[in-house]
Parts: sequence; C-alpha cells; structure tokens
Amino acid sequence: MNPESITDADRYPTLSESGRRMLQFLREHPHAPIFRNESGNRLTTEDLERVREFERETQSADAGWRPGQLPSWLESFVGQCLKVVPFYRRYDANPGEFHSLPTTSRAELGHDVAQFVPDSVTIDRLINFRTSGTTGHPLLLASHPIVAANYLAFHKRALQRFDLKLQHGAGQVGVVLVGFQRKCFTYVSVTPTMSESGLAKINLHPVDWRDPADRAKYLDALAPEVYTGDPIAFAELSTLPLRGKPRALISTSMSLLPAMRQRLMERFGCPVLDLYSMNEAGPIAVADEAAGGHVLLQHRLYVEILDASGNPVAAGQRGEITLTGGFNFCLPLLRYRTGDFASLEFRRGEPVLMGLAGRPPVRFRTMTGEWLNNIEVTHAFRQFALAQFALHQDREGTLQLRLAGTDLRLNAIRNALLELFGPNQALNIETISNFEGKVVQYTSDLTGAQP
Amino acid sequence: MEREGPILESLTHRLAETPQDFLAEPRIGPRGKVATAAVVGDMLRLLGRDVSAKRLQAFSEDRFDRNQLAVILILCWLLADDWFQKAGLEAHQLLRLLETDAAELAAQAPSKRYVADADRREELARLALAKLGFRPEGETIAQAQDRLTTLNSTERARVMQAARAAEERARAIRAALAKKAAEESADKWTRE
Repeated sequence: MNPESITDADRYPTLSESGRRMLQFLREHPHAPIFRNESGNRLTTEDLERVREFERETQSADAGWRPGQLPSWLESFVGQCLKVVPFYRRYDANPGEFHSLPTTSRAELGHDVAQFVPDSVTIDRLINFRTSGTTGHPLLLASHPIVAANYLAFHKRALQRFDLKLQHGAGQVGVVLVGFQRKCFTYVSVTPTMSESGLAKINLHPVDWRDPADRAKYLDALAPEVYTGDPIAFAELSTLPLRGKPRALISTSMSLLPAMRQRLMERFGCPVLDLYSMNEAGPIAVADEAAGGHVLLQHRLYVEILDASGNPVAAGQRGEITLTGGFNFCLPLLRYRTGDFASLEFRRGEPVLMGLAGRPPVRFRTMTGEWLNNIEVTHAFRQFALAQFALHQDREGTLQLRLAGTDLRLNAIRNALLELFGPNQALNIETISNFEGKVVQYTSDLTGAQP
Repeated sequence: MEREGPILESLTHRLAETPQDFLAEPRIGPRGKVATAAVVGDMLRLLGRDVSAKRLQAFSEDRFDRNQLAVILILCWLLADDWFQKAGLEAHQLLRLLETDAAELAAQAPSKRYVADADRREELARLALAKLGFRPEGETIAQAQDRLTTLNSTERARVMQAARAAEERARAIRAALAKKAAEESADKWTRE
C-alpha cells in the first residue's frame, strides 16, 4: 500500500455516521491539541465478530492453573508452535517435555522477529508494535488489528476486579491515552465494540498545544470514562484544573508506587489500576491489594518463575517472569524471559505475582558493607509519591538518585535512604522534570551488585 | 562399502521403532533427560568395546549441539542391533561415526525425521553402513553408492528449497512490518 493512499476507509473500515462525527469532534474541537499522527482500528465486520467472541471467552474463563501442574491447553499450544513457527520448529522437541524447551528472550525477538510469525498468519494485515526498551534492544513486534482490539477484553477484566463495568457508548469518549513526552505518537480513533466511542491519544507536553490552558478545557470537553497512561503523564494530568471525573485510571509502562497511586486516587476520586503489561504479551496482570500482588488477566498465558540458568525456582522464590502462550497470534511466546522479576504464589487458588519489579535485581552496598536488595529501596519509597526515579551506585559507593514528580519531599526521601544505608552514606539527589521515557530504575558500578 | 552388510530393511525397520528413551531430549547442562555420554558408553560395551570415561566425556561437553546429540542417540539405537554386535567394529570407527558423520546428518534435518520419514531412515541406515565400510545385503558397491548419493542430494535440494521459501516469507514479513500502514496502526487502549 502506498503510504499516501491510506484513507479513513482503511483506518476505520466499519465507520458509521456517528463514528465519523466522533472523529470530527475529537479532531476539530477548538481546544484540541496538534495531532501529529493518524491511526485507526482497522477492524472489518468479520474482525469485530472475532473480537466480540474473544471478549466473551475472556470474561468467562479463569486465568491460572493448579499449583504444581501445567495448564491443560499448554501441550497443544506448544505442539502447534513447534509445527508452525519457524524459530520454534528448529527445536525439533517434544511438546510433552515442556521444561526441556529452551527459553527465549528479547535478544532473539530483536534479531529477527519474522522467525516468530507462524506460517498460518497472512502477511498483508500485519501491524507493528514498536518498543524502545531500557536495555538497548529496540524491538519491532508483529501484531494484528484484532490483537490490538483484544487488549480491551483484559482491561475490562481488570476493571471488573474493582467492580467497574464500562458504561459509555455512542457519542461519548471511552478513553484518553495520555503521554507526557517531548515527542509522542498522537491520534484519534473510535472503538467499534463500544458503539464507536471516542479514543484520543494525546501528549500533555505543552509543545503539542496551541495554549497549555487548552489541555484541561479539551479533556473536560471529552470527559473520557477512562484515562490510561504512565505515572509521569498522570503526575502532569493531576496538575491540570480538570472539572470532570473519570471512572478509572489505568497505569502502565512503569512501576506505580503505592503513595503515587494513593495520591492519584485522591486527586481523581476513582480507582487507579496498576497494570503489568508489555508489547510482547499485552496486559499480563493487575495489582490487587486484596490479593497482595499482581493477579493474572490472561486465560491462555502460563507464567513461570525461572532462575538465571533457566530452571524453575522453588515455590515462592524470586526469579525472572517467563511467559508461554498469549493472545497475539502473530507472536506466540514459548518460555519468553521478560527481564522482569517477581515470585509467584497461589492466593485463594489463583496465581499472583508478588513483589513485581522490572529488570534484574541489583544489590546496593551500605556503609557497613552489607548488601541490600533493590526491593528494600522500593519498600522505603512506598510512602513517597514519586512519578519516576532512578538510583545508581558508583564505584566509590556514592548514591545518585534522580527523581521526577511534583511536591517531592526531598528531606524525607533523603532520610529514608540514609536510614537504609547509614547516616554517613554519600548521596546526591537530583530532581528532573522529565526522564523522556522509561529508565532502568536500579543500576550500580560496584562489583558484586548483580546477585 | 567393500563388505556386504545386513539387509537394509532390518535396519530401517529398527529405526522406525526407535524407543522413546532414545528420542527424549538430550541433556545439555541442567536441561534435558538423556545423558548422551552414558548411552554411547552402553552401546560401545554392548559391541564389546570399552572406552575410558574421559573419552566419553566429549559427549557431555558443549562440543555438540542439541540436534547432533539427538542424532547420536538414534545412531546408538541403530548400532545396538544384533548385526552390529557381531560385526567386530572397532571403537575408533564407531566414535568417528558418532562424532563426525552424525554432524553431517544433523546439519541436514531435525533428528526426529531420521525416525519418522522413510527416506531419512534409509539415508541414516545407508550412511552408517557406508562409513563403517559396509553396503546393504544384495547390492553392488555401485548400486549402494548411487542410492546413497540420490537420497543425499534429494534431501539437500529439499532443504535448500524450504530454506529459500522460508527466507522469502521472512523477507515479506519484515517488509510488511516496515510499511507505514503497519507503523501507524496500533489502536489499543493502553500503551507499553
């Protein structure tokens, strides 16, 4: 397809008059931002049937498996992968010997993602999910309009845990995705399975607005039922003089500290969901205080916790979150090591990710020479409403803390770290307005920092 | 191929009935089930040849990839046949077959095809015989050589064609993903 020839008919194949009016409202509102890009749902009538069917399946299925057992769907899924996915076909393995299968990681996907697309997938409707990553491995992942649309089934499932059911419909705005970056992909669309309710992806950074004061006016005019974004964008959102109240905020991409979550809940008067989600697998889990961790959302995703050699850890031990299955039929995952860490416990019969932390654990050395796990720092920061932070220990043992957020209690933060590390710990704290995307939260130059 | 060996069908039949134990995942580091070194040691003993544990150690190191180890296990099953037990083969011949010639087979196809596919069973049986200096019973040297060459080249052609088709599809996928249409279409409610 010639780039110039992409039209609204390609972007919104089933667009009705009401949907067209919604797009016009979102684009042409007098306080609208400068929309930098264009995108659409690309869903055909047949696709919509599949999306609705998937939502029904998701609502009625249980996510999980019994302790010590593998999910019943796993063996046939693995068998299919070994047959139709070029990368896995080379394993020449037995589907029944799950724990003997090699693990995969971001490096393999990054090397050539085409090897992970099953033979059965038709090429002409592929879309891509692009991720810059924090580890220097940018990824371009294969996906499909149906996969993008199916995210909503898991959002609904997550909202259900908080007794929330989406209520909006035609003529209303369902969701505004907020970002706060110098450069951001922005566009408007409609969600066909929600009677073509509006969807706007906007950037709160003033560079995308004719007048920064337009931000609150535009968002109040849209009155979305849900805002989604990362803690940085939500921190900025909470500074705007908004009159309208969303019914929920869904936070993704970065860890959301409990105090930040509390602050957002108070500011917006609604539940704030902390979603564990990644481009490779979509929404995986949502934080649920009652369960003590992140509860799984997908009914065809098996989660293992592995040690550094790729062996399952003992029950309750921390290790790398490793995924098999998923709903992206263009990218079936087989023992995919996510680079994120947690332990897995069964609470009231369901598997729960405990102590979820992105990136491998890092140890910090205290003044007494004792090694502290980064989880201890996370715990110490629970009480602070930090939008984003990064802690680094240099060769001399000096700590460098970089912080982003508003109303930062710098003295209290300093004291919390000194309490952990010792009163004479060398510590520099720097506040910055914006990290420009994700950061690796914990790093160290000290030998022995990687346990 | 100077010497006449067993009836070919007895070997291909044996391969078709390879027990699950010889098809299980070879152990590499902490993964896998079957210790290839131990299986090689057992097979050599069965054929009246004993080699040192140190010599067998080669099969536990990372000298061989997974598929090669899996082919070695299948060869061990074949060599444990009654006929080979009586053939008076030397340890160095057997080890060369396992260490060098198995690599040729492994490079060509996944191990399980040497059990599941009739042509590949025949190829493995003929290659093993030829490398040990035998030909199937009732065949002349020329016939045996011809048939092995045909099997070999047909498979190479098939592998090449499959590889070309796979590369073509991979290229098409990469091109589709790089298009602006794929780039701009990402309509989901949350972004990572």
